[in-house]
Amino acid sequence: MLPWVYEFRWDAGHIIFLGVFFSVLIIIASTLMRALMRAIGDFKNRRVDHVMWEVAFEDLPEPARACRHQLSGEVAHRTCPNEFDCRDCVSHELFLRANPVPPAGTGPQAPEEEQLFGLSFPLDRYYDRGHTWVKPAADGTLLVGLNDLGTRLLGSVENIQLPEIGSTMHVHGTAWQVSTRGADTRILSPVEGTVVDVGGPGKEWYLKVRPEGNGDALRHLLRGAEIKPWLTRELERLQFALSEDGVGMSLADGGVPVEDLPRSAPKADWDAVWGEMFLEA
Amino acid sequence: MDKLLITRGVQRSPFWKFILWILPWAMLLAWGLYGAYLCLAEGLNQTNMDNRFAFGLWIYLDLTVIAFGAGAFFTGFLLYILKRHELKSVINSAVVLGLICYSGAIVVLMVDVGQPLRAWFTFWHPNVHSMLTEVTFCLTLYLTVLILEYAPIVMKNRQIRKVPSYLVFEFNLHKLMVVFAGVGAFLSFFHQGSLGGLYGVLRGRPFAFREDLGIWPSTFFLFVLSAMAAGPSFVLLTTWLVEKLSKKRLVKRETMSYLGKLSGVMLIIYILFKSVDTLIWINSTSPSSGFPAFEYYDRAAFGTWVLFAEVVLFGLLPALVLLRKKLRERMVWLIPSAVFVLAGVALNRFVLTIQTLALPTLVFDEFLSYMPSWQEVATFSMVIAYGVLLYSLSFRYLHLFPQERELTQPY
Repeated sequence: MLPWVYEFRWDAGHIIFLGVFFSVLIIIASTLMRALMRAIGDFKNRRVDHVMWEVAFEDLPEPARACRHQLSGEVAHRTCPNEFDCRDCVSHELFLRANPVPPAGTGPQAPEEEQLFGLSFPLDRYYDRGHTWVKPAADGTLLVGLNDLGTRLLGSVENIQLPEIGSTMHVHGTAWQVSTRGADTRILSPVEGTVVDVGGPGKEWYLKVRPEGNGDALRHLLRGAEIKPWLTRELERLQFALSEDGVGMSLADGGVPVEDLPRSAPKADWDAVWGEMFLEA
Repeated sequence: MDKLLITRGVQRSPFWKFILWILPWAMLLAWGLYGAYLCLAEGLNQTNMDNRFAFGLWIYLDLTVIAFGAGAFFTGFLLYILKRHELKSVINSAVVLGLICYSGAIVVLMVDVGQPLRAWFTFWHPNVHSMLTEVTFCLTLYLTVLILEYAPIVMKNRQIRKVPSYLVFEFNLHKLMVVFAGVGAFLSFFHQGSLGGLYGVLRGRPFAFREDLGIWPSTFFLFVLSAMAAGPSFVLLTTWLVEKLSKKRLVKRETMSYLGKLSGVMLIIYILFKSVDTLIWINSTSPSSGFPAFEYYDRAAFGTWVLFAEVVLFGLLPALVLLRKKLRERMVWLIPSAVFVLAGVALNRFVLTIQTLALPTLVFDEFLSYMPSWQEVATFSMVIAYGVLLYSLSFRYLHLFPQERELTQPY
């Protein structure tokens, strides 16, 4: 007799009906437990940053998830299936074989400073889709900074929370947080490694990171000829983000983004613009 | 504070406008709660139901909202199990609608049955041969599933998602959503069916009684099919209404059209089975119980127009419109068709609940009429108000339509 069901009898009706009921109940409970155990596993294996970025990426509008090879015109339409982490992407390898992009700082234009749409994008470094740059230093560390568009997007920052020296960075985890105009924005880390020094807005760079892993540490970052088409798309996205609902692109072409964009357009929904441009859902 | 809870990049009305919108619904909810309180505290003498007319407005509401709420399980089944990814843009909304419908139905059932503190008796003393036991077990379990499906949507709220443990749990729960979708489809099949079976087994009510197909009466399957037709239409209509009220595009027109197609396909199958079932009932089941079927339609209130409206006007007609691609791609056809589908299913539930009980079955019986008391109407309104409030709050603070940002800012 099942002790938890009063007047239970060993007949077909009771066995089938209650058997199905308890089976469903067990499936629901075990699925819930499984989700819980997996979540605990993610914490133990330090995958929290990765998970948070995966969720944020999933929530981005589809055009914001375009593959770098779509931006460079190598393919008509392709949504990135790897959350902008090309290090293990087989397709990226094939695209690179067909159309090699030299490492940053080694192309024919290097080390000239590239001016694109009035923005400074030096070619001696690598760029992440979240508007940070990475520059390899002579001592093997990586300098991480905010690119020119990112700097102009944020304008004058009220508060910044930089990571502690010795803390670990994960690709597309949080690198640092800025607060301005009552909104918090997290800046994505472009690389994996340990923070060995911190700079800040007034300095040349924000973080100095000792990279982890093999030589693929920068493989997912944009460089050289990839920068211009990406930046063109980013400026388009910025125009859409700044436009009124449904108006679409309506700003006059040919202008140059000013130094402090929020100050020059104070009525815009900057919270939404930063979310859009810094890839935060 | 309000703005910080709203998803980044989506526009919502100013807070004062939102308060103005929810205020009348909150008042309606308060009135409904008072009516429900009276019924629970004073007993069912507060209603106009009696031993003869034991099912009234509440059971009608239950059956209807549960059919409308089928969009949650059907959409989940198609998305997570059959991988129809175009439904991703409406799944969150479908889950919220399902949760509202099922939780609302259970609340009203608790008022109707009374003695909510003894609700656990149904699990402790289950009558395994009763359709109602099956309904109770399935509804309880499915509501649990809906809460588990709703939880990830809540955990992705802009502020809640900042807590890593919630977001990581949400991520892992979402990965296993296929299990919940499967369980939801299984449970929904049985409880939608059992609600229909409930009428089909009423041998003493020849208007509702139907022959068995396997171990269940045909109404079991008709309820499942009609709910599968109504669910997508309800999701479609709600989405369209929210678009109109918020003045925003929330999903792509192709998705709306696809929901219409789903409804059309399920509806034509349902109408086919319903027609065959009705013909068998007219020619065999009903006469064999001593009642020529058309005697039921002699009553002034329930003429043959009811059957015509249910099968042709609100059945065949919208099904044919929704099955034609050119027509369903135009809102002017799509939306009225969805309204007709829902009207047909609601009429079917009304007929089975009210007409069945109103018709006399014995020679000394008379045609009964029933008008709900204000307490019944208040409790009914409570569920409607609760639904509007929960949906409004969810739409404002949760990310119900993933394509909203993309459609507002066309790249």
